[in-house]
Formats: sequence, structure tokens, C-alpha cells
Amino acid sequence: MQPRSNTGDGKPPRKYYSARKKFCAFCKDKVTLIDYKNHKNLENFISETGRIFPARVSGTCPYHQKQLSKAIKRARQMALIRFTEEKKRLS
Amino acid sequence: MTSRYEIGFIITPEVNEEEVKKIIESITATITKAKGVIENLDEWGRKKLAFPIRKNLEGYYVFVQAEVDGEVIATLERRLKQMEKVLRFITLRLDDKLKKSNKLTKRWAKIERIRKKTMDGRGEEREGEEFMESEEETDATEK
Repeated sequence: MQPRSNTGDGKPPRKYYSARKKFCAFCKDKVTLIDYKNHKNLENFISETGRIFPARVSGTCPYHQKQLSKAIKRARQMALIRFTEEKKRLS
Repeated sequence: MTSRYEIGFIITPEVNEEEVKKIIESITATITKAKGVIENLDEWGRKKLAFPIRKNLEGYYVFVQAEVDGEVIATLERRLKQMEKVLRFITLRLDDKLKKSNKLTKRWAKIERIRKKTMDGRGEEREGEEFMESEEETDATEK
């Protein structure tokens, strides 16, 4: 296999390139039930403006993404997580 | 038919401790009256809300897990809606979720067992192979 790019720091180019494989964070910890009360953990899966990250960004599996989105929505209802937050502007 | 439910609600911060106790007791009493069993009572206490609700920045969080009849939950929901001191509430049925999670834990345990069986045979061989490969590479660069 031919190297696609040179690293540029004098070392020989690496043989293989592959994007780091994403994995489901809940499967890794073997979480079977995502609780909406655990809002500190849920905050890792929302953007700074309060949107839920899609599975292709966060890497969660479909089973957990479905539960996660529901848990986030429930947490929002109980005012544990914000619905939206305007982006802070400089100046 | 009884099943497991979870009820969570937020009480306004203006209320003093005695009134908070009264509200919690009134809800637990209705559950126990209908031959329900309270399994867990979680009082988080005063907590900052993520956004203001009716101009309140704080709230008193209470979560109750109980095994009750579904009709009792319906009446509780109606009561909670009428209470002015309760800002928000949520009721969930946990039965089917617990069933699903138990299923998943069983499946994962099975997968783990199979993986262990297959890895026991291969483990040593693999480490050896990697070691050999790295040696070959270093030789090539030296030459």
C-alpha cells in the first residue's frame, strides 16, 4: 500500500492510515439504562448551544442514541439541562 | 396490575421546610393508601435550575420510586398539575425499561464469555507475532 502523505518531519511516512474508530461510550462502560437524572453525563452529548450531537459525531450506537435523546429531552423538561443558549460573542 | 413508576417534581424555593415535608407526605400517603410500596425517596434539595421557571432560579428536587397501580398515578398527575407550589413534574413507568436493560446485560455477559473462550487460545500466539514483526522492521531500517 502506498503512503498517502508525508509527515514532513524527516521520518519515513507511515504505512497505513485509518481514521480512529469511534465507539459507543455507553457500550464501553456497559450502561444498559440511561437515566435522565444523571445530567452531568448527558452534558457531554450536547453542544455548547444545547443541541444534541448526532450519532455520527458522538459515535453512540443506535440503541443508546435513542435512549440518550429521550433522556436529554426529559432532563430538559425537569430543568436539569438547558434547552438553548445563545452563543457568546466577543466584545 | 401494579408496576414500577418514578415520579419527580420540583417545588418552588419560596416554600419552607415544613411545607415541603407536607407536600411529600401527601404524595407518599396517596401511594401507600392504594396499597402501593415506596421503594426509594430521593431528595436532592435546593438546586439551581438550568433556566428560570416562573421567574424562579432555584428549585427543590424530589424523586419518588414506587410500585403502584396505574390509576393512582393518573390521580397523582392531576393533583400535581393543580398544585401551585410544584413547578414541574414527571412520571415514568420503569418496568419495560428495566426488562430491556436486563436483557442487554445478559446478552453482553454471553458475548464476553464467548470472547474469553476464543481469546484464551490465541492470546500467546498473537503477542509473539507482533514481536517478530517489529524486529523485522528495525532490521530493515538499519540496512
